[in-house]
Amino acid sequence: MRRVAIIGTGQTKHGKARDDVNQAELAREATTRALADAGINRRDVDAVVLSNMELFEGRALPEMWVGEGAGGYLKPVTKIATGGTSGTSACIAGYHQCASGLFDVVLVIGWEKHSEGATQTGMALTDPLWDRNVASGAVGNFALSISQYVAERGVTPQQAAKVAVKARRNAAKNPYAHLQIGDITVEKVLESRMLADPVHRLDMCPQSDGACAVIYAAEDRAKKICQRPAWVRAAVTRHDQPYIGDLDRRLVTMRTLRDAAREAYERAGITEPLKELDVAEIYEPVSYAELAWYEALGFCAEGDAGRLIDDGVTEIEGELPVNPSGGVLSTNPVGASGVIRVAEAAMQVMGRAGDHQIPGARLALATGYGVYAWSDVIILSADEAE
Amino acid sequence: MTDLLHIPHAMTLSWRYGTSWYFAEFIRALRDERRLLGLRCPVCRRVYLPPRPVCGNCCAEMREWVEVKNSGTVRAFTIVHIPIIDPTTGEPRPAPYGMALIQLDGADTTLNHYLAGNDPSELRIGMRVRAVWREERRGALSDIVHFVAMNNEQSDNEH
Repeated sequence: MRRVAIIGTGQTKHGKARDDVNQAELAREATTRALADAGINRRDVDAVVLSNMELFEGRALPEMWVGEGAGGYLKPVTKIATGGTSGTSACIAGYHQCASGLFDVVLVIGWEKHSEGATQTGMALTDPLWDRNVASGAVGNFALSISQYVAERGVTPQQAAKVAVKARRNAAKNPYAHLQIGDITVEKVLESRMLADPVHRLDMCPQSDGACAVIYAAEDRAKKICQRPAWVRAAVTRHDQPYIGDLDRRLVTMRTLRDAAREAYERAGITEPLKELDVAEIYEPVSYAELAWYEALGFCAEGDAGRLIDDGVTEIEGELPVNPSGGVLSTNPVGASGVIRVAEAAMQVMGRAGDHQIPGARLALATGYGVYAWSDVIILSADEAE
Repeated sequence: MTDLLHIPHAMTLSWRYGTSWYFAEFIRALRDERRLLGLRCPVCRRVYLPPRPVCGNCCAEMREWVEVKNSGTVRAFTIVHIPIIDPTTGEPRPAPYGMALIQLDGADTTLNHYLAGNDPSELRIGMRVRAVWREERRGALSDIVHFVAMNNEQSDNEH
């Protein structure tokens, strides 16, 4: 297997409704910026990997008509679909294509234009014989898992609200982020509308229009093109059983994320993630999930996640900043959300994160979360593997 | 500058899904006899509801049917306060309503279904509930209207 690095990233201005562009133009906006960031042109790209939740927009075969925007004509184009993990899974697929020696330069593009359709309709098209009999939506399903997590771990609504506040204050430093509500407070989160107990509106991610691209290059090409690329040190994916009720204490145990993180840390030679990682961009669709992921990712002992947020450990100035970009809680174009995690982790390692740059960041973690508790874990480093 | 347009589009679609043998068995028992059937893994002995032909943990084929009771224990719950599309009607379900993950007696998985109550102070993890069936059944999980609290039963906090 060859060593592979990210040599460029690009994202759109994310928002509630990007009425000024269609989906293909949205994808083109992100890919054009990624190519400029890498300093290469479309001809240099050998293959393209796409990520999009086409049911949300109700248009089939996006790989055909968005291929133009992504620069995929007459090239090998693959579309990856794994629910919310699609973006990170597409990033892992692009990495595999490069690492295997198949291609030297691979572009990954994820996008979603939630304003064009009804996200709830897409969510309702789950298993017709089972899940489709109950109206639960993403919020209802999260709330169920959260009730177990809260009962077992004793985290409070205030601690969850602190996660929601941290994300939006960080987003105020990120010009691409969708939600720009930097004046948010814990009180405002707790006073916002209750969606499904105990999840308030401001505990939940928005639905966004947006796109994000990352470009991989193999070993020699990466070094030639980029002075300080973000080397992929681990890329691990785990799926789980197909029905929401299958998973005993889903958010509490989160066996996919625990197992993916264990393998990723082993590959990257990390034994103490809290001390060794400089920054993390994790897929937190709801405030409570971020607390659960702290435990599953080994940032703290089980039951200690509330203390971690209370002590400010994961704030942008803390020991391990989590989601300096503002995270999924601030920007959520689903097909792009996982790609954004990887791009933001890469930007940190490359020193290109602007106002939300963590000074001196060299080792970054990105995760993806998908329907029914699927998990992806990716570790990027300024240092090439030995 | 060209004025930009948005093109509205609405359509009604229909589908016809195959069940395979195990879901056909499950649906017939549910519709005709109000019985809930799970499949047991020969290796780990877990009873799966809904039934499926292979245990994901053990990669073992499952053929042993096990009857699961109409009663169970709440393992997780919420009250939904916003209108969420009911996929059985295509219309938003009137809120607020209670939802729970219920471990039916005899099953190792939990069932995502509605609760009769929507007052969080009357709900707790570990409470005992039983299914309320529709008179007219069409052969779907929605033949259960919702689950109601069983007040006279000992609560089960074992898991």
